[in-house]
Amino acid sequence: MEIIESIRGFISTEICSGSVQKIDDADLLIENGIIDSVGIMLLLGFIEEKFAITIDGDELIPENFSTIATISTLVGKKIG
Amino acid sequence: MEFSLTEEQKSLRDAVIRFARQEIKHDLSLCDKEGRFPIESWKKCAEMQIMALPFAEEYGGCGSDFLTTVVVLQALAYGCKDAGLVHAVITQILCGIQINLFGSLEQKNQYLPMLCQGEKIFAQAITEPEAGSDALGAMRTLALKVDDGYVLNGTKVFISNGPIADVVIVFALTDPAARRLDGVSTFLIEKDNPGFEQCRPIEKMGLCTLQNGELVFRDCRVSPTALIGREGQGAIIFNESMEWERSLMPAAHLGTLERVLETCVGYARKRSAFGQPIGKFQAVANKIVDMKTVFELGRLILYKAASIKSQGRRAGMEASIAKLFISEGLKQSCLDAVQVHGGYGFTREYELERDLRDSVAATIYSGTSELQRSIISRLMGL
Ligand SMILES: Cc1cc2nc3c(=O)[nH]c(=O)nc-3n(C[C@H](O)[C@H](O)[C@H](O)COP(=O)(O)OP(=O)(O)OC[C@H]3O[C@@H](n4cnc5c(N)ncnc54)[C@H](O)[C@@H]3O)c2cc1C
Repeated sequence: MEIIESIRGFISTEICSGSVQKIDDADLLIENGIIDSVGIMLLLGFIEEKFAITIDGDELIPENFSTIATISTLVGKKIG
Repeated sequence: MEFSLTEEQKSLRDAVIRFARQEIKHDLSLCDKEGRFPIESWKKCAEMQIMALPFAEEYGGCGSDFLTTVVVLQALAYGCKDAGLVHAVITQILCGIQINLFGSLEQKNQYLPMLCQGEKIFAQAITEPEAGSDALGAMRTLALKVDDGYVLNGTKVFISNGPIADVVIVFALTDPAARRLDGVSTFLIEKDNPGFEQCRPIEKMGLCTLQNGELVFRDCRVSPTALIGREGQGAIIFNESMEWERSLMPAAHLGTLERVLETCVGYARKRSAFGQPIGKFQAVANKIVDMKTVFELGRLILYKAASIKSQGRRAGMEASIAKLFISEGLKQSCLDAVQVHGGYGFTREYELERDLRDSVAATIYSGTSELQRSIISRLMGL
């Protein structure tokens, strides 16, 4: 719960600068243009720092960043 | 906070400077004039294992960390006056980094040893006639999925090493209807692949030994094994690769800047006017002081980016700042160096006019200065 909320908070405030009203767990972030190529740099920087993990190679695929839920699952898996 | 290099890094740096001065012997003035690639010096760089630096020993690499790679490339550009050759070497390393980070085991086994040995020349093709700064957004090159792989159609331009490359890493749309972040894929294409054409090198104002040209794909059919990473991963591979590129290219710029700075200090001490060395005139000294300032501050941000990346962390912001600050600083310093040398600076013989011509492109490739500012502002949350 904490993971998903902090990811939602970061995307809403830092990536969208509050321009998107509410982002639900299953909202499509890439398809709806919420996350673009700079957005993903920001997001990766945030989750790697916040959760002390490294995401690279096979994990750096768009599917893992398609929704807040998939990002949260990836982070949860990495934290173990 | 530790600001010094290890003894190993220092001795490697000294060895590379010695190598560059003693072994890179092609007639640069002639190659520059004729736009000729100095293949013999390329081979020497390969023998010196410069292209092999950041790769694992199992692929013929040296297993150096990223900061060491940066230090070596800075040393190479300091000792070797051919910025075009250094650019070609860095392009080779960048292609290897993409294969190493995202390629399959088979691709690593097949391509990394030949890349490390410089036996095959690599290039990376992103830019298109209508897609430069907006490389992904405006991309048109299409990779259509078919039963036995993909068929590529499109044109890439300005590709470094493109006209002489044996292997090219190509970015193309696999899903044009999707957002670019998941609609682009990356392919490894060999030069004899039917449907792939390498055009002759274009003439440029600088970096004349570097071969840049157009690559054309006409119904260029490749097997599914040509794909680097997964279908749709291209934009992320591009992003990652740019972060590496924005640390490695500035390493070379910093090396050139260091050499130009030393040349200016030497000249300002020796050359006299009005009965005293020109360095005693504040108007001249100020230019050289500004070069020194760019060099020292540029080195700090570059080594910071490289140290962060050596620890396996992201350095997008630092790399963009390094690229912006050092490339702009190099261009201004080269212009000032010509001025400090007066009429002699304007002659071919003093070789500063070539450094100036070479430096202009530094603020264009790997993302223009305008684009770096735009990325940095986004990363700052603006
Ligand atoms: C020596 C050299 C080597 C190169 N090597 C390679 C290579 O190996 N592989 C490869 O794929 N490409 C390569 N390139 C291409 C290079 O990456 C592009 O030239 C560069 O990205 C700029 O694109 P463009 O030339 O289309 O300029 P444009 O994108 O058309 O830009 C024109 C001007 O508009 C400005 N501009 C554009 N968008 C914005 C914006 N959003 N905000 C503010 N200003 C903006 C630019 O900064 C620039 O000043 C190379 C180029 C050179 C010169």
